[in-house]
Amino acid sequence: MESVVDIEKRIEQARRTFDELRSELGRMIVGHAELIEQVFIALVCGGHCLLEGVPGLGKTLLVRSLGEILNLSFSRVQFTPDLMPADITGTNMLTDDPSGRKIFEFQPGPVFAHIVLADEINRATPKTQSALLEAMQEQSVTVGGKLHRLENPFMVLATQNPIEMEGTYPLPEAQVDRFFFKLLMQFPSRDELGRIADLTTAAPPSALREVLDGAGILEMRQWVREVPLAEVVKDYAVRLVLSTHPNREANHDGASLARRFVLYGSSPRGLQSLILAAKARALLAGRPNVSFDDIRSMLLPSLRHRLILNLEADAEGIGAEKILNELVAQVAEVE
Amino acid sequence: MSAARDSLQAQFAGLLAWERRKRLEQTTLVMAGVAVALAIVLLPLPGYFPLLGLRWLMPLLLMLLIAPWFFHRWRWRQQDATRSMVELDKVLQLAERATTAWELSSRETTNAVDELVFKQTQERLHGFAARRVFPRQWHWQSYSVGPLLLLWLALLWFEVDRSLVEQSSGAPPSLAHKVGEFSRELQEKAKSEGLSESLKAGQELEKMARKNLEQKSSEEQLKQELAGMAKKLEAAAKSGADKDSFSAGESQQALQDLKAELEAARDLLNFPDAAKGSQALPQQWMDRLASLPQLKRQLDKGAQAGSGFGPNELKSLLDRLEQQATGELDRRTLLDAQQYLEQMTKSGQARRNENDPRMAGRGEQDGADDGGVKEKNHSNLPGKEPGKKDQGGLPEFRGGAETQVKGLLGDGDSNAVGVKGKPVPGKSTLGQQEVASNYRRQAEQELNSERVPEALKETIRNYFLSLENSGPTK
Repeated sequence: MESVVDIEKRIEQARRTFDELRSELGRMIVGHAELIEQVFIALVCGGHCLLEGVPGLGKTLLVRSLGEILNLSFSRVQFTPDLMPADITGTNMLTDDPSGRKIFEFQPGPVFAHIVLADEINRATPKTQSALLEAMQEQSVTVGGKLHRLENPFMVLATQNPIEMEGTYPLPEAQVDRFFFKLLMQFPSRDELGRIADLTTAAPPSALREVLDGAGILEMRQWVREVPLAEVVKDYAVRLVLSTHPNREANHDGASLARRFVLYGSSPRGLQSLILAAKARALLAGRPNVSFDDIRSMLLPSLRHRLILNLEADAEGIGAEKILNELVAQVAEVE
Repeated sequence: MSAARDSLQAQFAGLLAWERRKRLEQTTLVMAGVAVALAIVLLPLPGYFPLLGLRWLMPLLLMLLIAPWFFHRWRWRQQDATRSMVELDKVLQLAERATTAWELSSRETTNAVDELVFKQTQERLHGFAARRVFPRQWHWQSYSVGPLLLLWLALLWFEVDRSLVEQSSGAPPSLAHKVGEFSRELQEKAKSEGLSESLKAGQELEKMARKNLEQKSSEEQLKQELAGMAKKLEAAAKSGADKDSFSAGESQQALQDLKAELEAARDLLNFPDAAKGSQALPQQWMDRLASLPQLKRQLDKGAQAGSGFGPNELKSLLDRLEQQATGELDRRTLLDAQQYLEQMTKSGQARRNENDPRMAGRGEQDGADDGGVKEKNHSNLPGKEPGKKDQGGLPEFRGGAETQVKGLLGDGDSNAVGVKGKPVPGKSTLGQQEVASNYRRQAEQELNSERVPEALKETIRNYFLSLENSGPTK
């Protein structure tokens, strides 16, 4: 049985690991400290991330660097309109066995890796996009009637470009909901741009150091789930999720923006993401319990892609972030 | 169970007990404030219930009445305990460690992570004192209790509640108040008419009423005192009665008219062109004296009218007549006051109008008169000035052109009944002499009331004399 000292040690270890990861990534990625933290939180929570940002902000570099640091297998799939599902999941190939007989042998696709970068996911057809559904949710793929388990840990990091909408296929809501976080890559600041120029136009930095392995990640996932959550904090998270619903009966604390512009509120999966991410954040902060601030910090990445806004919101340029920020301001911590 | 958990539980219990106590104090204070405010709003309410001391117990009773609602509405709930814990986390920046530890400590079993939470919370709550971190905080409702209580006490002290009850119920004023009012009116009348005995009686009555109000003695005691006073007034009135006086059979109005005419006659005698020193008055002055009807009647009674009057004899006669008229008026006023006091003593609710000292004597004298319409001499009323509209006059008479009816002149008592009517357009049927005489008499009464400046009295007299001398016109 673990003692208090053991728990203290592992919390300290989690915090230190995160610091090291942040430090190593900082050698390759300029800025985006919050984004790096959120990606790591999604990783230790076993979730997938949808990264959204204009081209050239370092989305792919971030994912690739993460794979190197974690000493995990990494694959990249560039989504195009002619990409087929089998190109992702793999397919049965007709080959010769040692005795010379013709047999079908399964050739795993790029999804069979610890970290999968689905680059520009919205350029593939819905059929191909949905090939990722089973992999993301069940961590398995079925080809030719045979189930193939994916390696653990498994994480999909998908990117999409918000400005080039021509020739794209917006992700279906069911698939969007399967992403643990939706993260926005912001354009770097003036200082950050200068540092990016220095970093990329000089001699390439030395190879990244391995900070964490798969086993360590799985262990941390277990630790995250053991972080205690007070009832009142949980109730706060529940009320926040409820308040995203325009239906007044379910939405006691709902803000006016949510009632006006939201078509469908967050799913229960949003609440799970919110609480789990808050626990991970507490752990990475070296704290054994979840605070209200953890919930508030994880609200935007957890719920922004889970609100379906109506046409009026589109017309008035109201985004999910604005609605969620209003909810944070209006929903009381203790009812 | 770990030591950290035990320690935390004790600290949490202390904090919650302190918060509950604060809530109780706050609730009680607000309740008291509301009760006192309600007591002020419902200030007249105890006056409708004849319970001794109810007015002083109203806030307490109201507090008891509203207490169930307040204690139910502001009862201590689990949410309040949670709120206290969250507040503790906020104040000490514990990042919800205390709240989490408080919840975990209530579980039967704990694991190592829970123990770590206990440990970290205990370290951060070392030396924590709930009273110091969360001192009492008084809201404006609490601060308002004191001033409201003082206001309520002041209102009770000045008996605002009782006066409100009296106003709202339309109840008659107390006996002492009525006696006080009566005494003031009596004094006013006595001063205006020069009635010395009545003035004394009025002063004595006022003292009696004031004493009763100050000492807050019972009405029964005041009634006894009033009965004694009534007897005293009766005795004074009887002792003042002059059997040989002409005035006993005169009406109140006749006496008042006579007083006014006596004053006018005295002024006539003081004219510089009067034949002072001569044994007989000139016929011109005797004619003028004869135009004063009441005085003429008295002179006729004494069979002394004639040209044989000398100024000195006339003066002494006028003095005697004035003395008798004043004495009789004084006596009648005392009798009226005595009757009024007797009624007050019997019922305590004597009808004011029937005993108005300003009407003193009329009831006694005029009761024996015929049933004609009586004329009120409103120029005698306090505050009444010529030209002012009278609101307490007789009902408007809508007769024909005739506006005055006079009785027959001759030996014996006679009664003149004046009927005031609304002026109607057309020619007057009264002679100017008659009208001028009436107006002059009224003016003389006003001159005697000392409201007219001394310097103007002569001018007014000359004016009316000139009217009479101007000759008859239509």
